[in-house]
Amino acid sequence: MSFALDAARAVWRTPRGRAGVLFLGFLVLLALVGPSLVPDPFRQFDLLELSSAAPSVDHPFGTDQLSRDVLARVVSGARISLAVAALAVGLSITLGAGMGLVAGYLGGAVDALIMRFVDGALAVPRLFLLLLVLAVPDRVPLIALILLIGTTGWFATSRLVRAEVLRLREESFVRAAEALGASRGRIIFRHLLVNATGPLLVAATLGVGDVILLEAGLSFLGLGVQPPTPSWGGMIMDARPVLDSAPWVGLFPGVAVTLTVLATSLVGDALRDVLDPRGA
Amino acid sequence: MRRWLAGRMLQAAVTLAIALVLLFLLVHILPGDPLAREGERALTPEQIEDLRRRYGLDRPLPSQLAAFLGGLGHGDLGTSIEYGRPVTALLLERLPATLLLGGAALLLNFTVGLWLGVRQAVRKDSREDRWLTTLSLTGYATPSFWLGLVLAGFVGVRWRLLPAAGMHDPLGAGDFLASSGDVLRHLILPAVTLSVVSIAGTMRYQRSAMIEVLRLPYIVTARAKGIPEHRVVWRHAWRNALFPVLTLFGLWLPILVSGSVFVEAVFAWPGLGSLAIAAVNNRDYPVLMGTSVVVALAVVLGTLASDVAYAVLDPRVRRS
Amino acid sequence: MTRWTLGAWLGGLAATATTLGTPPARAQAARDPSAAVIATGAEASVPVPTLMEGALASTANTDVADQLFLHLAELGPTLMTSGDRAFEPALARSWTRRDSVTLVFDLDPRATWHDGAPVTANDVVFTFRRARDPAVSTRLAGVLRHIVSVTAEGERRVVFRFAYPYAEQLYDAVFHVAPIPEHLLGRLPPAALATSAYAQAPIGSGPYRWVRRLPGEYVELAANEKFFLGAPAIKRVFFRLATDAGARFNMVLSGEANLMDNVPPPRDNLDRVAAVPTLRVVAVPSPILGYLLFNQRDPRDTSRPHPILGDQDVRRAIGLALDRRVMVRATFGTSASVPYGPTSPLLWIGHRTPPPARANVAEARRLLAARGWADRDGDGILDRNGQPLALTIMLPNTSGSRAQLALQAQEQLRQAGIHIELERLDFSVYTERRGRGSFDIDFAATSQDPSPTGLSQGWSCRGGTNFARYCDPAVDSLLEIAGRTTSHAAETWQAVLARIESDYPAVFVYALNYLTIVDRRFANVRIRPESLWLGLREWTVSSGARLRPAGY
Repeated sequence: MSFALDAARAVWRTPRGRAGVLFLGFLVLLALVGPSLVPDPFRQFDLLELSSAAPSVDHPFGTDQLSRDVLARVVSGARISLAVAALAVGLSITLGAGMGLVAGYLGGAVDALIMRFVDGALAVPRLFLLLLVLAVPDRVPLIALILLIGTTGWFATSRLVRAEVLRLREESFVRAAEALGASRGRIIFRHLLVNATGPLLVAATLGVGDVILLEAGLSFLGLGVQPPTPSWGGMIMDARPVLDSAPWVGLFPGVAVTLTVLATSLVGDALRDVLDPRGA
Repeated sequence: MRRWLAGRMLQAAVTLAIALVLLFLLVHILPGDPLAREGERALTPEQIEDLRRRYGLDRPLPSQLAAFLGGLGHGDLGTSIEYGRPVTALLLERLPATLLLGGAALLLNFTVGLWLGVRQAVRKDSREDRWLTTLSLTGYATPSFWLGLVLAGFVGVRWRLLPAAGMHDPLGAGDFLASSGDVLRHLILPAVTLSVVSIAGTMRYQRSAMIEVLRLPYIVTARAKGIPEHRVVWRHAWRNALFPVLTLFGLWLPILVSGSVFVEAVFAWPGLGSLAIAAVNNRDYPVLMGTSVVVALAVVLGTLASDVAYAVLDPRVRRS
Repeated sequence: MTRWTLGAWLGGLAATATTLGTPPARAQAARDPSAAVIATGAEASVPVPTLMEGALASTANTDVADQLFLHLAELGPTLMTSGDRAFEPALARSWTRRDSVTLVFDLDPRATWHDGAPVTANDVVFTFRRARDPAVSTRLAGVLRHIVSVTAEGERRVVFRFAYPYAEQLYDAVFHVAPIPEHLLGRLPPAALATSAYAQAPIGSGPYRWVRRLPGEYVELAANEKFFLGAPAIKRVFFRLATDAGARFNMVLSGEANLMDNVPPPRDNLDRVAAVPTLRVVAVPSPILGYLLFNQRDPRDTSRPHPILGDQDVRRAIGLALDRRVMVRATFGTSASVPYGPTSPLLWIGHRTPPPARANVAEARRLLAARGWADRDGDGILDRNGQPLALTIMLPNTSGSRAQLALQAQEQLRQAGIHIELERLDFSVYTERRGRGSFDIDFAATSQDPSPTGLSQGWSCRGGTNFARYCDPAVDSLLEIAGRTTSHAAETWQAVLARIESDYPAVFVYALNYLTIVDRRFANVRIRPESLWLGLREWTVSSGARLRPAGY
């Protein structure tokens, strides 16, 4: 764990890493407490005046074409988008680590089976896997969406973990410990935790950005988070018709996606630099 | 080398086969009826039964899988529900447009990306280096459809500088030169959108490859000899830093293909991406399946080509 | 490699963009003013009348097919489907009646197929043999089930016999399918037609002939210069594809297309069209009708009447408490109106109806009070025997406009002391709940045929889509009479509507018009509700002076 702390400290020392961490921290805080500070985005209809208003003191981000406060929706959208990303990435990292560990540790037929499956799955871009699954049923509940995004994202992680396990198996200290009667599995597991945490952390950070983009894209196609639940991608889609007359409706959710993904990239990069200084 | 190549090709074939089975199972095991539609175009139960028979959906799963793979063997991907025509024919019609868009985006991505990557490596850790990285990451972080919408809305509709949608002006059909110009005009916005969101990777790879090369002794020697810096960078160093990056083009395929789905939809580009979107909207799953098969094939072939290119350039790979 | 290079590169790009980027609208209008580019959301796949089954019975296919294939006769401007008089001759020059079940058509001797062959009675007989064969065309065969036989008498005369006397015999004979050429298709097995070369380049008898299809981009048609009703003034027609409504709208705004079926919502988009000097908006009746449907049965036990809505006075009170004009105006602007009875603007029987009842909250409160509903606990909601007057409105979450209207209804009913909960449901859940009868009020929307006989589906006791279990024997018998009578069709249908209006099985909220976008250079524009671009052959192109408005 001291390792993780060291990494965090190192990331904090780089200006871009710090900017990313600060922004993500702000966003998480916003997602946690923000929705209670802004008006309820579900009941924001002004019945007499259904039209979008430009940003003002009352509505800093303006209102959308249904007179709903864009700020309130961006803030509520942050909770949805971050929750989807965090849960889906958590799932895919866990699955990936588990599969990689099993494949690398057991080897032989199991390894071959898992890895050939991973090869095959990686041959189809994640978006297409999701399109195929999501296009058939009429509507997909949020929890199923999270599960689907999570279970289509673990393939690359499992390769990473497997490689690490294979490397460890050949390490002399592991062999030595084994000769001394220690359980090989335990040794590998312990060292794996130490050695693979870094790469997994990088993968998770970048994965969050990818999932946010993916969710936005799916919502744009009408296959992601279903209205009226606000999600950033869905808001951009809803804003399309007023792009010209009321640009603020689509601008703010778009900027929110971009900044969030940018922040995850910055943190991920900084982490990678810390862990593998050669590439820097 | 020949044996390595044969082995690598076998591996690619196996990967593709697994991907195909996976695609098939995805569609057939999950709950939901691809033939049940909503709204105005809803089908009666009898019509659904009829379609079910026609598409062989009433047979047991293994026999459907066998039929699917058997059909693939001679290029048969089934019949589109929406078009009533063979999926293969539809895909072939749309493929050229996607190849054109993908090729243009890749070209733009590589020319600009490689050049900027080299600049970054030369000025490593300078303010410009940091800004270019942030800028390229911003491009990566921008949803492609959002960027496309903004470009189409402003450059296309508001300022009328370039066409906002389509690939050909229906009335622009003239001689070859005029119609190429027409296509080029339509191509600019989607290709720029697609390359902006994918350029970060090229820049990153080129930057680190270049940094490694610039550290090598022969560069130090060249500099010591007083060869102008410009020459050192572009003549001596870049050549050696270029190929490892070029061989990576296979890895760009999945990104470009996924991105083109959105970009084609926003710009009404008549390629596989907009075909896939229409298939999603119409629940035309044979077409969606066909598009996924083509994509999987492209990805596998791209990876194979990358590996082969890399092996040709770096003989160490073959021996290991 | 310096800053200079980047500047040069960007400069070059900008220069290329500007040279290539001549404003498309100006370029296009200048090049060929007699061409029409229609922006469409789906690609015509097999625009052949007998092939348009199942998913292929799409607007994309009918729009193209209606240019390529001429029907025997067309609906007149009144859209009246009943009787034999309101129709306009097309492929058939005239028709007469031998008896109440026999119709005789005389084909126009000048009519030819695009390959020059004359259109004969045998072509019509052949077409209906295909269309009435359930193995070939399940849907059409069902629609045409009242036709017993179609036979030829000589080269130009076709005789239709029907199973029994009814008002829409002519409509059934001409509306659903246009003749296809026997001399080209007679020897082709029906199953092979869809994948034949013919289906990829159909030969018809209409005002336009097939030129080509650029996959994923457009279908091109050219004027049939030998068209016997007069060569069209618009010489080339393109159906240009953009699946995405936003991209389609962009095409029209930027001048790359000059016709579109509807201004996509929201209302603000009308201003964007208005800002383009070369475009105008034409309102056209649509088949879309939206209504609040009251469940007649208890959602928990459909053998019992609904505890609140089973009472006709409560239904009437809800109807009177709603100011439908205000609701419709806020949501649709002027593009929709409040219907009288279940009539979309497309339905001819709704064209001369009395105005729908106006809102009257006082009367609503009086009706409710008379039925024992009063606010006894002072919470603003009426109650009776300790039970509050609370209902739910369910609607699918796919519809944005219905969501807006439902919110307004909720607010207006609150002021009348009625508490409304809104349930926005997944579409599949919505249809499932509707089928089970598990709802209080269903905010439904439907797309109607031009024929009013479709009303029996929703409003007769045994109707296939009568989800509210509404049953009034008087309505049933009126529907029966209206379907058969030829002499007083309009009056009988009025009686049906009046009966439904007074029963309050539903509150009919909106009847939608399409707002088609039309380039101003087209004159003599007649957009036909039953098939928007059908009248294109009669449009003209105004002189060059109006082609380039100021500012261009």
